[in-house]
Amino acid sequence: MNLMSRRDFQTAAAVTTISGCASNKSNEPTPFAGRSSVSVLKASSYDVDLTKLILTGLAQAGLPDVKGKRVLLKPNLVEFDNATAINTHPRIVVAAFEAFRSLGAIVTIGEGPGHRRDTLGLTEEAGYWQQFQALDDHFVDLNRDNVKSIGAFLGRPEFFFSETLLAADLIVSLPKMKTHHWAGATLSMKNLFGLVPGSVYGWPKNLLHYHGIANSIVALNRRFRNTFAIVDGIVGMEGNGPIQGQPKSMGALVFGADLLAVDATCCRMMGLDPGKIEYLKGAADLGAIAAEQIDQRGENPASLRSDFQVVQEFQYLRLA
Amino acid sequence: MPGTYRAVRMEALNATQNADGGWGYFAGKRSWLEPTVYSLLALHRQIDQPEWKRGWELVRSWQLPDGSWRPNENVSEPHWSTALAVTLHCARQQYDDAFRRGVSWLLDARGEESTKLSRFLGLFMANHIGHDRKFAGWPWLPGTTSWIEPTSHALVALKRAAPHIATSELRRRVTLAEGMILRRRCADGGWNYGSRAALGVDLPSYPETTALALLGLQSCGEADLSQDLQRARDLWSGCHSRLGRAWLAISLRNFGVELPEDDREIARNDTLATSLEALSAPQGGHTLLRPEPRV
Repeated sequence: MNLMSRRDFQTAAAVTTISGCASNKSNEPTPFAGRSSVSVLKASSYDVDLTKLILTGLAQAGLPDVKGKRVLLKPNLVEFDNATAINTHPRIVVAAFEAFRSLGAIVTIGEGPGHRRDTLGLTEEAGYWQQFQALDDHFVDLNRDNVKSIGAFLGRPEFFFSETLLAADLIVSLPKMKTHHWAGATLSMKNLFGLVPGSVYGWPKNLLHYHGIANSIVALNRRFRNTFAIVDGIVGMEGNGPIQGQPKSMGALVFGADLLAVDATCCRMMGLDPGKIEYLKGAADLGAIAAEQIDQRGENPASLRSDFQVVQEFQYLRLA
Repeated sequence: MPGTYRAVRMEALNATQNADGGWGYFAGKRSWLEPTVYSLLALHRQIDQPEWKRGWELVRSWQLPDGSWRPNENVSEPHWSTALAVTLHCARQQYDDAFRRGVSWLLDARGEESTKLSRFLGLFMANHIGHDRKFAGWPWLPGTTSWIEPTSHALVALKRAAPHIATSELRRRVTLAEGMILRRRCADGGWNYGSRAALGVDLPSYPETTALALLGLQSCGEADLSQDLQRARDLWSGCHSRLGRAWLAISLRNFGVELPEDDREIARNDTLATSLEALSAPQGGHTLLRPEPRV
């Protein structure tokens, strides 16, 4: 949802950060020099055996041993609308739950939506309860959980996160593949916005906007390195995402432990240049963006490329 | 059966009070100010009971030296829910020093876009979003911009407090905040979170924000709210969110709109929704969020 314009954020940033711009060249990180694996698997619909597919993707992308580990699945729940492609599809979440359980993990599902306060209502409307009768026993509202300080973060002397989140050994980002009218694309890295507890920081999470969307995405991904991504690209969203866009069939799931490499791969599949996405550039030391540094497993992402429409302001992101 | 809806919820609240006197957002979780205040308001008829007093004392203990309230025991920062604590003081008719310091903190707080520095800088910037910075509202957190929800909570608190606070600043802030809310009304007649449009696209109104905006606008004599009340009524009819539906019922009933008594079963372990549903019932105490007549 458009809650505040990009210009408004810039104004806010000017007020709070008169001394300079955080994204100037001298602050650009030293690019990551290693290699990362990303798996892309075809999935024609949500009716296929998603658990089996996810287990294949996890193995191809090099998931570490999760036996006995606490795994937090973090879907993207945004809006009370199950008629379009706003939220991570419940079958993906259930299949991921079953896959990680079969690998011996202790699995919790957690989300802290950015603007709707009724998280349980959102899970219901998005079809999570119909798909997963035992959700009550495994779901945590990250907006309203017990919280604990991690010390200084995002320019504040103390910053609080959900205790369930902080206790997790692995955070699995389960976003929808969508365009975003402020960030260009919203994928596994942007999905970490939902880790910030609204009960402390409000709805929408204005503090993140104040700090700058790209800066906040980078900071969250720098803070939480125990992550893995499974992107729901079976049906994504194009145009005026992340809410008011149109469904876009892609028929793919994308997996990886390097969230930058996963998001960069998704961008290429969407016809967007990852090198022009501000938050990917800002996190370039954390993982692989260049295609040459990414070992693609499963399908060739280029063969699945289907360009997403983007709002006028992001036309410059289009790949040739 | 009339009254059962509320009774079931009050019973659930009584059963989930924490040992410290407060309520968590969910049973078994640690206490937070917001669910504690709404639970105490929903249980206002038990005000003389020791359990109610324990909750009240917990709220009192969370006031910070600057007059604001912390949101829970381990977050020691001023918080938007200060407005709720002030409203609770009004409901308890406790107009003491703690109450006055809370009001004073609210009167000093404002959205960052309306500080003198921001308004000065705003003179040199294009105003694409169309907000008039002089109409100051309240933010979720100090140092950030104002939004409909915290502004509405502050308005409810200040309008309740008004007869007991002798300052023209209160009336000035109320007028400005009402202006802020009215200027951010969506084309469909309700309210989104902070703006009526973005990137040239009209934004839709939402149940919670529309309900809260209307609550904040109670007794605002200048505004014709008939279209907004109709929008709220329509939202109530189709609302899938327990929280949204409860807020809408609280708001509409405070405006005298007749609604059929809800008969939905209590569902899920959500203290805030449960307490708001109890408050929203015909005799549930929603009038505690109505401005007090001037004394």
